[in-house]
Amino acid sequence: MIPTDLRYHNEHEWVRLSGTQATVGISHFAQDALGEIVFIDMPKAGAVVSSGQQIGEVESTKTTSTIYTPVSGTVTAINTALRDHPEVVNSDPYGKGWMVVIELSKPAEVDQLMTAAQYEAFLASQKH
Amino acid sequence: MATHIAILGAGPGGYVAAIRAAQLGACVTVIEQQALGGVCLNWGCIPSKALLSVIELGDKLKKAEDLGILLPGPARYDLARMVARKNKVVAALVKGIATLFKAWHIDVVEGRGRLVDARTIAVTSSDGSQRQVQADAIVIATGSSWPQLAQFPIDGITIITSKQALDLDAAPPRMIILGAGVEGCECASLFSGLGTQVTMVELQSAVLPLEDEEVSVLMARELKKRGVEVHTGTTIEQVAVQDGVVRATLKDGSALEAERLLVSIGRGFQSRDIGAEHAGIALGRRGEIVVDERMQTTVPGVYAIGDVVGKAMLAHVASAQGKVAVENILGHPTTIRYEVIPAGIFTLPEVGRVGLTERQAREQAQADGRDPEQAITVGRFRYAALGKAQATGDITGLFKVIADADSGTLLGAHIVGAHAADLIHEAALAMETGATMPQLAHMIHAHPTLAEGLQEAVEDLEGKAIHQVKKKS
Repeated sequence: MIPTDLRYHNEHEWVRLSGTQATVGISHFAQDALGEIVFIDMPKAGAVVSSGQQIGEVESTKTTSTIYTPVSGTVTAINTALRDHPEVVNSDPYGKGWMVVIELSKPAEVDQLMTAAQYEAFLASQKH
Repeated sequence: MATHIAILGAGPGGYVAAIRAAQLGACVTVIEQQALGGVCLNWGCIPSKALLSVIELGDKLKKAEDLGILLPGPARYDLARMVARKNKVVAALVKGIATLFKAWHIDVVEGRGRLVDARTIAVTSSDGSQRQVQADAIVIATGSSWPQLAQFPIDGITIITSKQALDLDAAPPRMIILGAGVEGCECASLFSGLGTQVTMVELQSAVLPLEDEEVSVLMARELKKRGVEVHTGTTIEQVAVQDGVVRATLKDGSALEAERLLVSIGRGFQSRDIGAEHAGIALGRRGEIVVDERMQTTVPGVYAIGDVVGKAMLAHVASAQGKVAVENILGHPTTIRYEVIPAGIFTLPEVGRVGLTERQAREQAQADGRDPEQAITVGRFRYAALGKAQATGDITGLFKVIADADSGTLLGAHIVGAHAADLIHEAALAMETGATMPQLAHMIHAHPTLAEGLQEAVEDLEGKAIHQVKKKS
């Protein structure tokens, strides 16, 4: 089930908007494709990022994949709990598996992201 | 009468040269000031591996529960015992050299040797007594010196070299390592494993700056996983020691503090104060002894090998040079070749490398007037896709091969992961013999082994690795 209160990026990141703060993580589809996650390299708090930029990496027992930020702004928090328990992203990608919080510099960017329905259609189109 | 060869220094260059010379019928005298085996055996390669092997085991024990080993609590390190075991390993190996020397009737003279002329070495032993060794030929194998840079005065306590780092009886809470080369990264693996908060400072833009870029990137991530903080593209401008804490100021003005600063840059050549000038031996710009491809210095009958000649500063290169030197002395003309030098970096995970990096290969192709994109092909394969790696849990790592697209020969290979330094030799043999990549791919590799990764990387040159999803086109 793809949560309907989030917005999605075509690199399989999700965004949860709360005021001008956006929480970012990776989708269930992404964690499933990666397999067992063993390490997440995240940016430092305070880093200034712009949408589409690489902000980290997820390493699984199968592969290493880039994390892109779907939004621009300043990283205000990172999920330090993932340092010791990266597997939380596998078990709860939309909840405890969140990765960073970004204070948005261009809030309008969120509107450009896919809705849950659009993301679902996007995933279906990717199957072929 | 047998040719008499005097060898100055009993490190991996000198002792191997001595044994080979004796095998070929020479009468050999080795002069050594400290310990048989030199830095490599006593304070370098072997000690660090002895200690790092324990950390490797400790890393595995962290996953004990997942593996099905039940421990009463988390495993803890006792560095003093680790060091004691390391010393035992070293002592046994040093004794092994002494036994070999005895078997080959190689004479060891303890003391500091200096050339008097091209056939004479004066030796001063630790008790001050002097004697002279006369020989038909001399091999200088004095090695390299510990870092001695004026701005980082080694006090052996707070500001240390790897020699002292490998003999600490307790891990410091914090350590700054200056230099993220081979030694720096190995020490970072060791001390981060022991629980030290390690911060590295490297002038170049990447860790392991001489390695293939993908190796550097992978190593940077692995160091990060171990909690090591890495500052690249900067250096320490100033150090101050107060109350057992060293404060290091970086180029940008920021400061780091630690109980120990490990200086892992600035080894020099042991070419001074060995009497080279008395014999008329020419030194190069960096202070290295100039030799030809037969390892002979500018003075006939005087040869030099190992770190002091400033080629690849590796124990096994010194050994190879030592054999070449004495074979030439004893009438078996031979020359040294540096094209195929496999090397290991014993970080966690390990690195094995031979030949060119991808960048070097492309630059060389360009210099030859070829299109660097077309002339070079690269194949990769991940440890994680190997059955053996999954079975043993050693899933971190990469095989990378760089081949000449036209000739199909291997130009370089880089492996990061478990047993990488052992695995690299298949690639080295392929380079040495000029085996083509189709030949290597065609050879049956045993299953399940990590060696299959090299075969798959070679197959990936043509996009035909079996256990790898097709590359996006």
